[in-house]
Amino acid sequence: MVSITLDALGKKCPMPVLLAKKELKKMNSGEVLEVISDDSGSLKDIPSLLSKTGDELLDTTQDGEVITFTIKKI
Amino acid sequence: MVKKINYIVKDKSFEKFMMMVILGTTGDAMDIEMNFFFTFWGLELLKKGKKPKVQGMPTPMKGMATRMFTKRLKEYGMDDPLAMLKEAVTEGKVRLIPCSMTMDLMRIKREELLDFVEEPVGAATFFEISADADAIISL
Repeated sequence: MVSITLDALGKKCPMPVLLAKKELKKMNSGEVLEVISDDSGSLKDIPSLLSKTGDELLDTTQDGEVITFTIKKI
Repeated sequence: MVKKINYIVKDKSFEKFMMMVILGTTGDAMDIEMNFFFTFWGLELLKKGKKPKVQGMPTPMKGMATRMFTKRLKEYGMDDPLAMLKEAVTEGKVRLIPCSMTMDLMRIKREELLDFVEEPVGAATFFEISADADAIISL
């Protein structure tokens, strides 16, 4: 159950990471954030961010260039 | 886990400025203390109303290259870099620290610098805040 969707399409490093962090900061524990990005770098960058924030990556799906991350705020 | 990275910024170029903004804001997003110590020409980056120019281009093309890069970065979704930096300073873990001695050397006054820059300090203070740094990098 997604609480918030962040559309980061067209944005390149570091914006998907910065915007994801901004959303996560506002969210309550247990809420789910969906990040949609077409920046290939974010495939590794978003998990790197989460390794520091401690939030949980539930799922990553890729459709062509579009990557969707499902993140649970811890 | 990396907790603190300190940078010495000694150049005034657009490239160094953008590296500072991108690494500073991203490090801040990852809860890393990001300290930037500005000396010599790096101090120019902290001056109010200063627009850094691309270094890695022949002189006649510096202005054009700066405008081109700025336009592209905007297309990449980047907000105003200076505003991003300010936010990371006022709400986050980025500190911009001018070197007092080189400010005197270059006749730069505190009031010429951006309001969100810290009070100038000397080399010893830089090493004090570096005591527990994971890395010290020169830009």
